[in-house]
Amino acid sequence: MRLQATLFLLASCVPSTWAIYTDEVDHIDYHHALLGQPTSQSTFFLKPSASSNASLLYTLSEDSLLGAVNPKDGSLVWRQNLTRFAPPAAQDGVSGLLRASEGTNALVSALGGYVSSWTALDGKLIWEKRFADDVIADLELLELEDASTAPSAKDTVALFGGKAGVVRRLDGNSGHVKWEYKDESGDVPLQLSSSSTEVFYIALQASARKGYRIRVVSLDPLTGLPTQQQILTSESDVSGPGSVVFVGANTAAPVIVWSDAAHKALKVNIIGTKLVQSFDIENTSGESIRSITVHTPKKLESLPHYLVHYETASTTWAEVYHVDLRSSVVSKAYELPRLQGWSVFSTSNKDANVYFTRITQSETTVVSSVSHGIRGRWPHQSPPLEKAVHAVSEVVAKGETVAVRSAAALVTGDWQLIRGGQIEWTRYEALTGALAASWVETDGSEDLVHQLEVEGHESVYKAYVHRVKRHVRDLQHLPEWLKGLPNRILTSILTDEVSNLDSFGISKPVIVAAKNGRVYALDAGNHGAVSWAVKAAEKDSWDVKAIVAQPGSATIYADDGSSVTLDVTSGKILARTPGTAIKIRSVAVVNDGAAPVTIGIKEDGTPLESLDLPGFFVTLSDDGRVLGWAAKDNKTPVWQFLPAQGEKIVHATARPAHDPVASIGKVLGNRSVLYKYLNPNLALITAVGKNTATFYLLDAVSGRILHTSVQEGVDPTQPIASTISENWFAYSFYADVTSSSSAKGYQLVISELYESPSPNDRGPLDAASNYSSFTSLPSPHIISQAFVIPEPISHMTVTQTRQGITTRNLLCTLPLSNAIIGIPRPVLDPRRPVDRDPTSTEAEEGLFKYNPYLEFEGRWYLTHSRSVAGIKKVLSSPTLLESTSLIFAFGGDVFATRATPSQAFDVLGKGFSKLQLVLTILALSAGVMVLAPMVRRKQNNMIWKTSL
Amino acid sequence: MRLVTSSTVRFFFILLSAPVLVFSALTITIPSSNLLPNPHALPAGSHATLTTLPSSPSPSQLIASLTRSATFVFAELPTQLKAQSYLLDIRSSDFIFAPYRVDVATDGSILGIWETFRANPWDNRGPEKYILDATIAAEQSGGHSIMATPDVTIEARVLARRNFYEERPRFSPLSLFKNPMILLALVALGFTFGMPKLMENMDPEMRAEFEKQSRSSPITGATRNAMTGGAASGKFDLAGWMAGATPRPAPGTEGVAASGRDTGVASRRRG
Repeated sequence: MRLQATLFLLASCVPSTWAIYTDEVDHIDYHHALLGQPTSQSTFFLKPSASSNASLLYTLSEDSLLGAVNPKDGSLVWRQNLTRFAPPAAQDGVSGLLRASEGTNALVSALGGYVSSWTALDGKLIWEKRFADDVIADLELLELEDASTAPSAKDTVALFGGKAGVVRRLDGNSGHVKWEYKDESGDVPLQLSSSSTEVFYIALQASARKGYRIRVVSLDPLTGLPTQQQILTSESDVSGPGSVVFVGANTAAPVIVWSDAAHKALKVNIIGTKLVQSFDIENTSGESIRSITVHTPKKLESLPHYLVHYETASTTWAEVYHVDLRSSVVSKAYELPRLQGWSVFSTSNKDANVYFTRITQSETTVVSSVSHGIRGRWPHQSPPLEKAVHAVSEVVAKGETVAVRSAAALVTGDWQLIRGGQIEWTRYEALTGALAASWVETDGSEDLVHQLEVEGHESVYKAYVHRVKRHVRDLQHLPEWLKGLPNRILTSILTDEVSNLDSFGISKPVIVAAKNGRVYALDAGNHGAVSWAVKAAEKDSWDVKAIVAQPGSATIYADDGSSVTLDVTSGKILARTPGTAIKIRSVAVVNDGAAPVTIGIKEDGTPLESLDLPGFFVTLSDDGRVLGWAAKDNKTPVWQFLPAQGEKIVHATARPAHDPVASIGKVLGNRSVLYKYLNPNLALITAVGKNTATFYLLDAVSGRILHTSVQEGVDPTQPIASTISENWFAYSFYADVTSSSSAKGYQLVISELYESPSPNDRGPLDAASNYSSFTSLPSPHIISQAFVIPEPISHMTVTQTRQGITTRNLLCTLPLSNAIIGIPRPVLDPRRPVDRDPTSTEAEEGLFKYNPYLEFEGRWYLTHSRSVAGIKKVLSSPTLLESTSLIFAFGGDVFATRATPSQAFDVLGKGFSKLQLVLTILALSAGVMVLAPMVRRKQNNMIWKTSL
Repeated sequence: MRLVTSSTVRFFFILLSAPVLVFSALTITIPSSNLLPNPHALPAGSHATLTTLPSSPSPSQLIASLTRSATFVFAELPTQLKAQSYLLDIRSSDFIFAPYRVDVATDGSILGIWETFRANPWDNRGPEKYILDATIAAEQSGGHSIMATPDVTIEARVLARRNFYEERPRFSPLSLFKNPMILLALVALGFTFGMPKLMENMDPEMRAEFEKQSRSSPITGATRNAMTGGAASGKFDLAGWMAGATPRPAPGTEGVAASGRDTGVASRRRG
């Protein structure tokens, strides 16, 4: 009952318009739901259900995200983050595997020691198994039909390569181990292969002298008992697992392919036979062969044809081989011509027919595996394709003609679907795990800003003259403006869009630095479409520390001290500074006057150079200290802060650079004022011990500790987030039952800082207008309240607006729900009355009864029904509209939206219908026109009749 | 042959080791309810977590993804140094589920499951969902239990549905007529047009009486004066009327009264 009353009060206090309207979805926000760079061995087209002919594109990406993409528009159907389920120890540097069989609605994935099966249509779990000590080396689905398996589910054979090679057959419905074959010989487990009758375990046996012999063990698929063993003499060619080019999987005639170190001859063995056939590689290009790749069909019923793809530095060609099943002889069928430049091959099946698709920079061609005649050729439309790394294709054949669509993973990190020479869609997978982002100003507004600056610095008279001149100059745009006026009025009435807010800085472009050294510009006005992307790093990867935006350009600082300046409208590289040998931990940006000054901070927390400016830095060193520096001196720190023994600093945060305070006090219900403790130099340090978390509030100039809060029973492995703004700070953690607290769960603590506990009193400061951090810094009076929240918060920040008048929202990233919420500050008011209803003065202030449990309401979800996964950082930026704050989240997906914490009070929203207004005015005018003569007549009558 | 024997040995080993490694699985099913009629329509990201303060070697959080039969399965609850009390959370983007308390013994068997209330003392347990049978518990403490502890299945309870969106008020003519200002205007309009018609259709005597009445009432007189415009209002003593004085003493009232009488006469003549 009481809870209901509280909820009602809450509902009455919070304006209902904080949520997102359905028609604002996709209009104020955009979202790139990303998977990461698709891997070549775990990406394929698949028809998930036997009843439908539609196929989806599946991948297990390099970031271990498993997902399905609709090949029609590139939208994400579902995804699962396998790192969430796999034991964390076995994840490092392990790439996952994904296998599927057509028509069974099941995928089997493996990552480290974690094997799981998922429904292909909607991504729900079928079974999962964890093998703690083993790391999976290969995974195959058993295509054989035997009495022990239901036809709907295919069993999995998995090869684990822990201390010894273990082959396990896992049940297709439950994941239970049916049998296990352990190879105790100490050979290097390589791969698995299966035919319709046998499972082959392939291992590398170290030979006495050097190199490895290939050992093939045939296993009975029903019992897992070895039936026969072949040892192939390959020690002269094979020097390690990387030397074997290919082990054929799930084909009628699986083969092992390897070549000698000089790439002079290709050795082929049909698995299960002893014979090794050797083919000379005809390399007439004069360049050495860089790589050999084998492409085979993946279905059991398909023809035993395969393609060998050779690549040199500048040319590529391919050979097609046929396997004669009766005589077990491999023969070369035909050759695909040598072409300049890159090309990627992919295989596809249509019943038994096998098609090879070749994508080059200029065209896509399809050949049948039977003959070399080109079955389809589609020249690519401009612009030319970027270099593709690998591709998967789906071929549809109708008589002699074929149609093909190919999903190509490009070297740029993009994933493109090419159909009939056209690019159907592009997924910017390189944006996954973006390192840094920033809003940028295009050149347009720069001029006016400059003019206004000039006016600000002139004398009154000169500034006036300058202004008049500027306005006269502006008159030349008047005819254009007048010409466009009717059109503008008409469109603004008819279209959905009420007013174009671009000039208020609402659709500022964002530039994002990706892991692979590329920089992307996202156009906020066009659903976050990529307006340009350039390779800015000279290396393949970089670690970006900061992006500093200036009007018209943006400078990106990497951890090696180098920087790149880009033009924000075109992405052209304007300037580049070389890196130094010193690794940089972070970059401090000093906004002083016109151009921002940046200083690199070394790993040990020392600034690289001293600045001739007043100011100070607070840095973290890699040995867990907090250091305070005066900008003039980079040799000795002014102060240093060490946490208590056994504690480690995990996070430090300070008030945002732009953090305006609209009011220095809080007006209470009885018209008295609580003065806020507004110290611009506050820093909040989080330190964790074994089961504690300590939050230190420091004065960053003097290094004095203003406040310490110790939380016990904290799990330091769970996310701990904190933020500070204005006169308050907030943090969240997971805490268990301890002697002092009996609750278990995630907690959010909010603390407000005041100058004194009593209203209308500034405490020791009294009437002082300024104070010094060194001499007599008063301690704040802190009021705190803790709430239990339903889930962890991995990152916190605060919405920023231009003047700080708008209420702030605490932006929290929920990593388990894949969401970002904005908790209104009035809800998180630590002065909410505890265990009693608010008095009338408190109610007037907007305070309502404290409830220790804070349920996240649906309308706080800025991401609403979107699943925004993997967010590492959320940025907020003010716009020219006081009501509106821009929000950009990156680190996994990319998501951007606008927040209006106190409603859009300075904008006519979509709820304002101009058409209705015009109609009302018309109706009123009509009424006046009808009534006016009547009233006039009546008045006339009145006067005449009175005087009669 | 050697291989066969080794596998048989292993088989025996597994048989022997089974009672030692007790893995009791926890299955959480989602029944269909009024709020959630079809649990199979839950998105793939739905999951359940078991959380506690870690005591090595167990991890602090276990996570189970939604299965195709709309359940969450924790197949292997880890063994640990001391008995643990886990917080079971179920999360789905659109629905809020009740949290549970799951007590697990050191060998990974489940001792009991209760509903719990967030931000309440942990010992403050809600309705019991499952509790380990005393007989099995006794057998286990005896140290030679043959059977594994039973797998536990509980039902999740949906508390509420999350509403992310705000409904934009639609324009409807009906809402226009609900506005009191519009209603007032309509009534006034009705009087403006309806009154003369009504007066005309009135019985002459009744009309005379009505007019007499309206003349004697100060408010109607004032309104009439106001309505006649500037010419008439000059004669109206607003201050006097506001003070509650009768219109008679004012010098202009007679004229008004006369005019009223005249109108009456005139209309009677017409009629």
